[in-house]
Amino acid sequence: MAESRSAILQGTLDLMVLKTLEQMGPLHGYGIARRIEQVGEQALVVNQGTIYLCLVRLVQKRWISARWGTSDNNRKARFYAITKAGRAQLKAETENWERISGVIGRVLQPGN
Amino acid sequence: MRTLLYTLIARLREYVRPAAGEADFDHELEMHLAMAEEDKVRRGMSREEARREARLELGGVTQLREAARAARGLPWLDTFWLDAKLGGRMLRKSWGLTLVGGLAMAITIGLGASIFNIWDTFAGTRLPLDEGDRVVAIQPFDRAAQRFYSTTPLADFIRWRETLTSVEQVSAMRSIDRTVLTRDGAIGPVRAAEMTASAFQLARVQPLLGRTLIDQDARIGAEPVAVIGYQLWQSAFSSDPAVLGQRIQIADTPHIIVGVMPDQFRFPMNQRLWIPLRAEPIGDAGSATDVFVFARLAPGATRASAQSELATVGMLPRAAVRQTAASLDARVVPYAAGFFPEVHANSWAGSLIFLLGALFLIPPCANIAILVYARTVTRREEFAARTALGASRGRIVMQVFVELLVLAAGAGIVGFLLARQFSGRLSQIVMPMLRPENLPFWMDFTPSLFTILCAAGLSVLAAAIAGGVPAFHATGRWRRSGFGALGSRGSGARLGKTWVALLATQVALTLAILPPAAEMIWGIFRPTIIGPGLPVEQFLTASLLMEGDTSRFNVLTSEAVRQLMSETGITGVTLSAAKLMEEPAARIEVEGRPASDDDARFNLVDDQFFRVFGARFLAGRTFDARDFRPGSTPLIVNRSFVTEILGDGNGLGRRVRYGRVEDSTPLQPPPGWNEIIGVVEDFPGSNDGPMMFHPMTMPTHDVSLTIHAASGVGSAADRLRAVAARLDPQLRVGRLRSLEEMYWQRRSLDHTFGFVLGSVVVIVVLFSMAGMYTLMAFIVAQRWREIGVRSALGAQPRRLLGGIFGRAVVPLTIGAFVGCALALRLHSWLPIAEAGGRSIPGIVPLSAVLMVLAGLLAVAGPARRAIRIDPTEALRVT
Repeated sequence: MAESRSAILQGTLDLMVLKTLEQMGPLHGYGIARRIEQVGEQALVVNQGTIYLCLVRLVQKRWISARWGTSDNNRKARFYAITKAGRAQLKAETENWERISGVIGRVLQPGN
Repeated sequence: MRTLLYTLIARLREYVRPAAGEADFDHELEMHLAMAEEDKVRRGMSREEARREARLELGGVTQLREAARAARGLPWLDTFWLDAKLGGRMLRKSWGLTLVGGLAMAITIGLGASIFNIWDTFAGTRLPLDEGDRVVAIQPFDRAAQRFYSTTPLADFIRWRETLTSVEQVSAMRSIDRTVLTRDGAIGPVRAAEMTASAFQLARVQPLLGRTLIDQDARIGAEPVAVIGYQLWQSAFSSDPAVLGQRIQIADTPHIIVGVMPDQFRFPMNQRLWIPLRAEPIGDAGSATDVFVFARLAPGATRASAQSELATVGMLPRAAVRQTAASLDARVVPYAAGFFPEVHANSWAGSLIFLLGALFLIPPCANIAILVYARTVTRREEFAARTALGASRGRIVMQVFVELLVLAAGAGIVGFLLARQFSGRLSQIVMPMLRPENLPFWMDFTPSLFTILCAAGLSVLAAAIAGGVPAFHATGRWRRSGFGALGSRGSGARLGKTWVALLATQVALTLAILPPAAEMIWGIFRPTIIGPGLPVEQFLTASLLMEGDTSRFNVLTSEAVRQLMSETGITGVTLSAAKLMEEPAARIEVEGRPASDDDARFNLVDDQFFRVFGARFLAGRTFDARDFRPGSTPLIVNRSFVTEILGDGNGLGRRVRYGRVEDSTPLQPPPGWNEIIGVVEDFPGSNDGPMMFHPMTMPTHDVSLTIHAASGVGSAADRLRAVAARLDPQLRVGRLRSLEEMYWQRRSLDHTFGFVLGSVVVIVVLFSMAGMYTLMAFIVAQRWREIGVRSALGAQPRRLLGGIFGRAVVPLTIGAFVGCALALRLHSWLPIAEAGGRSIPGIVPLSAVLMVLAGLLAVAGPARRAIRIDPTEALRVT
């Protein structure tokens, strides 16, 4: 099983976190990690700790904002939400990703 | 870019207050683990297993904390600070290196920054006008002679004003000195500008009172009006608020005052009075006027686009205007460069000065680099330990670089303070000589931000050369031989061919600059040592000028001279157009020789001039009565003229004429060819270079007068004032100064330059010696055991000494030979005599001998240490 799981491509974690926050609305770090694992259907190896480092980076860039709140199970947690600049960045990054993945897909198509 | 800025701000905030961020992060991780654990327990895991699984999924908490800390704050600043502290400690430990290296760096950086500051001051990069960087000058450029002219025919100005679109408020001005008469009496002469009204709009400065000039003021038949400066308003009108509408007489014409400009407004250059310039196409007379043209770049236009447009418009055909050069085109140049074409023609000078400063840094830094290399090698155990603990090569190089950066930063601060001090001293000397009222309004010798940046840049460069290079070199060796071998004694640290080549280069360069520098220093201090050659304290100089009706000026000055000569104690009185040491310079052409860039200063003098100064004639004769007749064109030149310009013979019979002379030159030389009839020995006022004297006929309204009074100049001044007052109250005496004061003021600037040059030479020589000493000391330390063994086996001290000196002889010999060749080349290439230097016979071989002796002296210390090595002590070292 472990051999069939893929590591996250370098630089794509930011994109996944931004997309998760855009879709799900404000979430805490554990929620983001769980969501990415669920969407990845256990096929992605996510080192959950690195998500927190990614969140630090995104807050510094003002692509996401952070505030303290209370979780479903009544715990004090830090909630992250995507900002306007973050949405713009997500749009640009998504277009870029689609372009690159399209090219790679075409290159890897059988017969090419 | 904005994202980068936000990140920087966030990191800075967290760097200042790290505790809050760390606590938040810890809390988040705790919550994460707790939530994950609960989740897993809900899914059926035991609590123990769930906790373990949650921790595994999260990763190492300590590493995460470290990574988050690095991502949040400014970790490199911490590292830098740590290295800087360590560097400070190392520098305190190696105080010799700190003192010598720091001092050399400080002087070099100070020198580089000072030169840059002077250039920056003249270049006027800080024009104190609204959007001053968009103000430009438009000037003719002589392609053949590769030089700019500051003034342009009025006809070209009119055409440019009407056609150019990439520049706006195209303006013109002529600078004139005019005597001004107010109701309270005469003032003068006052520096005035005949200027188009658009120039005031261009300057964007509002008048303090009234209005500025308007276009209607320049129309034919318009009533003459004037705008006065703040200083004139204060001094001549006692700051009278009702000054508007009052009349002043400028030259012979009454003008109505329509405005007063604020304090500090001296636009376009250093003017205090402004009258309209009639810039209409009024026929040949108007077209013959030359004006300084300037404008403001239109919105969106650049200097390049304005230049492109100007190139298509061009200048009028030469036949229609008064130009002598046939290959002129127009150029758009920065405003200040319009007044100092040399600065613009050498616009690369700023970069070159920085480059020169950097080159100056190489000799001292190369020596420090050798010292640092030697020290880095001796610190190999320390670096081996650091490597074992995971430090990379880059990290070690960075550590040594930062250590040296601490030294260079200190040196940079001292260097900047030195530059500031030097600038202050320079302005103290230069300002009175140039007279502050004559300086351009933007000229300020206070070091600017650019100068600070220049000093900072040179400091970083110094650290890179002195610290980065040797550390890189040393660690490179270790990398090749394996860092693991660092801890063991005798690991291969050698001063290889690179350093020997560096030393040879340094000896060569030092030797190359020694002869010209020595000749320059001798040229500077020789007049101080041998004296001015005449009793300067017995001479008084003054200006005589006439206000109002000047028709009797000639008669009155002749009478003043006659009366002064009859006074007891006064042995001579002479008249000249310009004061001694203030003579203007002009481009000249010698008959029968191709056109060149020769410049000479000139003066118009009376028949008593050479007798009063006791000037010795080397050839020919002095002026006599026939030389003052109309149509006569005799010329007397000084020795420097013959040696520097003519080069051969005594010059008698040769003919010289002037090239194009700027209208702004205060004195106009005689037109046509002038024949040399006499050659006079250099004397004060003419000992700074080639000098030409013409007979002066009929001064019109002002003249310089020099009195030779053996009894002292104090009483002569009183007598001159009394004679002038007695003859005519309108005959004014101004700018009374003794020749002694003028002479030593001029010399003090030379002295400052001489001391700076001398200090540089001494430092360069000392550093060559220090470099040689370091090389030898290092070799002796490296070969300690080998020398000990050889000594134990019975080697004679003479042989040991030979071995040590032999190592020094290689770079010394190579350096001496290359240096001699370079020195001879430089000697013939540099215009030493023109720059004020004086030839010293045999200076090149003398410098070579001195350099070799200095090198051998530097080696003596380490050599002595080598023959004193105790064999038993050396053999005990493993």
